[in-house]
Amino acid sequence: MSSAAAFSSASLPQDVAAAPPMPDVLPPVKPKKGFFGFLRRNPTIAIGGGLLLLMLCIAVFAPLLWTVDPTALAPARRTREPSAMYWFGTDMLGRDVYSRVLYGARISLMVGFSVAFCSSIIGLTIGMISGYVRWADSIIMRIMDGMMSIPPILLAIALMALTRGSVQNVILAITVAEIPRVSRLVRGVVLSLREQPYVDAAVAAGTRTPRIILRHILPNTLAPITVQATYVCAAAMITEAILSFIGAGTPPIIPSWGNIMAEGRALWQVKPYIVFFPAIFLSITVLAVNLLGDGLRDALDPRMAKRV
Amino acid sequence: MFAYVVRRVLATIPVMAIVALFVFSLLYIAPGDPAAVIAGDQATPQDVERIRASLGLDRPFLVRFGEWVWNILRGDMGVSIFTNLPVTTMIQQRIEPTLSLMILTLCLAVSIAVPMGVVAAWKQGSWIDRAVMGFAVLGFSVPVFVVGYVLAYIFALELDWLPVQGYTKFEEGFFPWLENLILPAIALGGVYIALIARITRATMLEVLQQDYIRTARAKGAGQTSILFLHALKNAAVPIVTVIGIGIALLIGGAVVTESVFAIPGLGRLTVDAILRRDYPVIQGVVLLFSFVYVLVNLLIDLLYTLFDPRIRY
Amino acid sequence: MAEPLLVVENLQTHFRTPDGINRAVDGVSFHVNAGETVAIVGESGCGKSVTSMSILRLIPEPPGKIAGSIRFQGRDLLKLSEPEMRSIRGNDISMIFQEPMTSLNPVLNIGRQIGETLRLHQGLSAREAEAKAVEMLKLVGIPEPGRRVREYPHQLSGGMRQRVMIAIALACNPKLLIADEPTTALDVTIQAQILELMRDLKRTVGAAIVLITHDLGVVAEVAERVVVMYAGKKVEEAPVVELFNTPRHPYTQGLLGSMPKLGSSLTGTETRLAEIPGLVPSLKQKIPGCVFASRCPHATDFCVKVAPALEPKAPGHVAACHYALKEGAIAA
Repeated sequence: MSSAAAFSSASLPQDVAAAPPMPDVLPPVKPKKGFFGFLRRNPTIAIGGGLLLLMLCIAVFAPLLWTVDPTALAPARRTREPSAMYWFGTDMLGRDVYSRVLYGARISLMVGFSVAFCSSIIGLTIGMISGYVRWADSIIMRIMDGMMSIPPILLAIALMALTRGSVQNVILAITVAEIPRVSRLVRGVVLSLREQPYVDAAVAAGTRTPRIILRHILPNTLAPITVQATYVCAAAMITEAILSFIGAGTPPIIPSWGNIMAEGRALWQVKPYIVFFPAIFLSITVLAVNLLGDGLRDALDPRMAKRV
Repeated sequence: MFAYVVRRVLATIPVMAIVALFVFSLLYIAPGDPAAVIAGDQATPQDVERIRASLGLDRPFLVRFGEWVWNILRGDMGVSIFTNLPVTTMIQQRIEPTLSLMILTLCLAVSIAVPMGVVAAWKQGSWIDRAVMGFAVLGFSVPVFVVGYVLAYIFALELDWLPVQGYTKFEEGFFPWLENLILPAIALGGVYIALIARITRATMLEVLQQDYIRTARAKGAGQTSILFLHALKNAAVPIVTVIGIGIALLIGGAVVTESVFAIPGLGRLTVDAILRRDYPVIQGVVLLFSFVYVLVNLLIDLLYTLFDPRIRY
Repeated sequence: MAEPLLVVENLQTHFRTPDGINRAVDGVSFHVNAGETVAIVGESGCGKSVTSMSILRLIPEPPGKIAGSIRFQGRDLLKLSEPEMRSIRGNDISMIFQEPMTSLNPVLNIGRQIGETLRLHQGLSAREAEAKAVEMLKLVGIPEPGRRVREYPHQLSGGMRQRVMIAIALACNPKLLIADEPTTALDVTIQAQILELMRDLKRTVGAAIVLITHDLGVVAEVAERVVVMYAGKKVEEAPVVELFNTPRHPYTQGLLGSMPKLGSSLTGTETRLAEIPGLVPSLKQKIPGCVFASRCPHATDFCVKVAPALEPKAPGHVAACHYALKEGAIAA
């Protein structure tokens, strides 16, 4: 089996038999690269982000978008159908629905973002403590289990029944209802990270706990918590609308989408537009946030990308 | 097995205790003075004091909590501030429509969502898959009352196929009952269908990549048998778990759906109680729903053995 | 002479991936005669498993695509409809997979999994199928088959599970059995038992076997003819003794050189285990020349430019190498 003997010299052989090249049986694939390639590969991020940006602009620039005072009463012009004068019509107090809907974007987005932010921060803290302080873990998790057994909308309703209606209290109530889910997520991530070899190595090398948390644990929780935050944001906007709709949310004086719908409720069979315009805006905004969340999850977690 | 059931049932007791403690302590930890909030803006100081006494806020927390739990264990959930009726009586009067709505929605949603998810996973990347996923995102995004109004507008007002609102008792016939409930059930089921379809698809995609599915293919098994016998049974545990967890969505959604369709159930009771700041009623309803939720999920836990022979207690 | 049982010609199996086309199998031809055992060997990722899956059309299309022709008993499998293909799978051609731990369905009992094939292809009733399943379990040497038939895969050991897989594969008396690394995941002692079982059963059932493996020890023990694959191509084919004695392709020589020899450390002749330097080239790039050129100790500029065709180097022995000597050349 001496390999050298089996070969002629390194010079070119006389009778070369070249293999015919094989044709490809599939059309060629062009890899998508760069920023636009990223958007092409993640169309949900592009669509969701774009829509959300649009809603943000509407909320910020509402005064410039041909609106009038959304709370100005005009009993003489009650329940006008949509027209060139009143794009979305007027409600039963003569207020301009178009202006109210545009200003309503402010409330929805503020509640959504605030709840997402607050519950992420608090959930992160609780989850970290739970994942790191062994004796606190069982106590905290029992409490979270209990809170999670209360359907979140009911929990928010119960809280709102005991406080005066205000945007802050709505944010507070929804945040409390969302905290357990975020905490559980963070705790799960922390516990799985603590098992990782590189964290073990850092511990063995004498790295102090705060530094491990800052360097290794925290950065790795950011991706899942960002994705979770978008879903919390979407859920919070819906919950705000529901609370306002059943009269337990934002004070009626403030034009939020839930309030506009609540006011249009009595008349919805004859003047459906009062309900439908805020409904469309609310749905589009929540859809935008959800799409963004789905896209982020796919982009941040390639393993999940193929699946959900 | 029996020991496991006992252990699991006992394990729900602390959870329920925490739920009770939480719902009860809201009265004490809520910002501001709950008694003043409940009494309303026009209340005199005497009214506020009366409510404070009736809620027991003038006595120490632990004493009052013990008393309250003891009463609940005896079936006494307190008395409504507004109607002066026992909360348990009020709940009994309203429970049938809500139960009907939730059971119908559950059956409808599961029978639609599971096949949807299975087909989407099978045809991954096709237009069917995209349609199912698109529907799922919409289901998560369009609030239940919006779906309710749109459905009622189209099928009740414009087409006049179904009643706009109201509820007919089950005793008065299946079809009148169904006629009134079908639109609310579809509206309420939207999010739930989206949730179940998504988890079904995700789990099925994972299962379909397993080696034993390849074995089944290599045996010459047909597509239907591979999907529904070989794959779905393996995917059952996560799907059933999510069906249980999703009941929280149904409960929350029922409150709103009943308002939209004027169904005299527990949801309506809750909404009315909120408008009147009738906290004992809210407390009772929240406690009851949470109890049902915990119980259903306990039941599902125990059902796992039916689907997976590897799970032994 | 009649056409062989299985003739694979110019088989190409490509996959679409986000960053290019993966040419997992690119122009492979071989044949299997009735009752013969042919081994396909190569490193992991050389396309041998994909080749075996392509024969039964178990490759999902899309993202995959199979081209060429696979004639089984004269019928081109690639032209059959899916229902026709289903009636062949598990019936005329069956397959054993590498991972006995994961290849059985965890939620169905053993009897049902063996019986499924029988019910599908022979129309047996549930009861008849279970009776036959017990018989099959006895045949593959599982003790207490009557009890085992009601058990679930997690209650069996790895070797037992592979026996069950063999029972499933042989239940319908197939004419061709494809075994994809049937012993790789098993303990050495169990490996020997399973190989023994396969050899025995081959004698009783009379099926031809395509054995996919990277283990040349297994090849030497059971195969009659060997196909060597590298980077999606067949680089050499020869009867087993011929291949072990005079490998022609440098890749095959490398493979054989990396096999430990029994007793070499005892005799004191401390020969180092040869290894093939470098990595298998990416199958997403088209390679104009010889696929092995990047790792070949004898490669020249010419090899990099011109792909060698498979040339007969001796009777029944072909290799794809410009420089591999032919029988006559050695003699001279």
